Amino acid sequence: MSDTAMAKKAASDIAASEIVETVPSALIVLDRNLNITSANRAFYQTFRTSAEETEGCHIYALGNRQWDIPALRTLLESVIPHRASVEGFEVEHVFPTIGRRTMLVNARKIFRPGDHDGSILLAIEDVSEERAARADSKRAWQLTQSIVDTIRDPLVVLEHDMTIVTASRAFLTMFGITEAETRGRRVAELGQHQWDVPALRHLMEKVLPENKPIESFEIEDDFPGLGRRVFNLNARKISQPGNHTHRMLLVFEDITDRKQRERDAQKLTNEISHRIKNNLQIVVGLIAYEAKWTAAPCVQGYTAMQARIAAIAQLYDLISQSSRGGTILVDAYLKEIARNMSASLLGNSSGIRIEVEAEALDIDPDRAVPFGLLVNELATNAVKHAFPQGQGRVVLRVARVDDAMELTVADDGVGIQEKDPAKIPETRGSDYVAIFVRQLGGTVVATPQEGTGTIIKIRLPLILASPNDVDRVAA
Amino acid sequence: MAVILIVEDDAFIRVIAEMMIEDWGYETLSASDVDEAMTLLRSSQKIDGLFTDIYLKAAVLGGCELAQQAIKLRPLLRVLYTTGNFVNDKMKSLFVEGTECLVKPYTQNQLKVSVEHMLAA
Repeated sequence: MSDTAMAKKAASDIAASEIVETVPSALIVLDRNLNITSANRAFYQTFRTSAEETEGCHIYALGNRQWDIPALRTLLESVIPHRASVEGFEVEHVFPTIGRRTMLVNARKIFRPGDHDGSILLAIEDVSEERAARADSKRAWQLTQSIVDTIRDPLVVLEHDMTIVTASRAFLTMFGITEAETRGRRVAELGQHQWDVPALRHLMEKVLPENKPIESFEIEDDFPGLGRRVFNLNARKISQPGNHTHRMLLVFEDITDRKQRERDAQKLTNEISHRIKNNLQIVVGLIAYEAKWTAAPCVQGYTAMQARIAAIAQLYDLISQSSRGGTILVDAYLKEIARNMSASLLGNSSGIRIEVEAEALDIDPDRAVPFGLLVNELATNAVKHAFPQGQGRVVLRVARVDDAMELTVADDGVGIQEKDPAKIPETRGSDYVAIFVRQLGGTVVATPQEGTGTIIKIRLPLILASPNDVDRVAA
Repeated sequence: MAVILIVEDDAFIRVIAEMMIEDWGYETLSASDVDEAMTLLRSSQKIDGLFTDIYLKAAVLGGCELAQQAIKLRPLLRVLYTTGNFVNDKMKSLFVEGTECLVKPYTQNQLKVSVEHMLAA
């Protein structure tokens, strides 16, 4: 070898050794007898040994024979002699010094000029943490899957692109499909495209980017093998700690039976309401028949009786339509009473108007009847006595005052000649007012009469909290 | 004087309605179901207004179907519905355009206002 060639080789050896020292993988070089000729710093650090203990030592004898591993023997004695290189050979072993380790070994035969026997370069990468993490992830996934499978409601987990990652056993059973048929497909593509609903798609697209869950989206359709079904869909974003990818959990709640029970109950309520109102119509008809043959002064009494019956009848519609657990919105109830009174007492051409100004307060059905009759009585009396000229305005007002509900019936008519304001309601006609006020546990508020007209105020216990309060409690 | 066809399956309610309407000077015809009403509507009998219950015997929305058929036979016929049920959107969608529904129980004054309104429409 010339001086120049020797200098080049020396420079090349230095560069190679520098590279070897900086490579993060543990490297060792073995001679043909499997004695270690050299190792790098990463090897010494990973396996807690030194150059003195290592170099010249037989690989199997190294570190109290901890490298005498059957898998490594297979690699070195059976694989390497027949192949120039081996990559990704996995060796798992419990080392006395560093515990259980999983290593990926790459082996390559290297020959230097003049060295016909050659050496073996082993690059050993410690993949223990990666493998442990993968095993943890697999266990976590199996746990998740087993939990998912025990949930009775069918559910699917969706990727960001809305394709299915996994479907629960309940989902597969209910819709008669296999896991392979669901994975990677969109929910909208399943079955006969029953879930391909634009409104649902629109909501689903917002779950992940806007973290906006879907609550109770109802779909009713015919499903093969299931018949007509109603499903409630709920979806929300799910995240794994330390993982930036998000997925969507979509749960299908079969509410067919519940829906049917609701429909049956609604049908029954309507049926009962229909029968009651038909029977009340008969009562109103009987009164009309009696009124026909009665002297004119008595007709007013019959007409008032018909209005009272109508006030009770209107409750059935409001109760059957109530979505607030059977309670009734006072506002809606008063408007019905006003509308009915206008039609039955006043007619189209009357100059008397009945108006409603009510806060959003609820009333329970048990007290709604005396409440409605009380309003009816006061308003009827106002219509009867306040407007001899046939012109005027009656206002039915309900407001929350402290912890009470205050009913006001005010008119701009001729007023009443009564010195004691507390006695005004009694002066204004029937005993019924006192009876209904007592029944409702209320009191008449003495209201000084100013200007023209009459104002009657009745303070009633706040039967139920206002809808806003109910919402707050529920929240 | 205008002729009103009253269709109501409850005999007592029908008779009282006839009595009320006749008191105001109108003539009345009556039927208890869709078939009876259609027989009269197909005849040459003068009929200005149809006052029909919606729930007629077994036909839950019989009055709605009757009015639809009636208006095809007599396009100028006026219609007024009545019902003991809550008037929901489904029911309203079946009403002949521009018509009203008088809910039960109705008084003679309410019926008078509604009948006048129907005939003036």
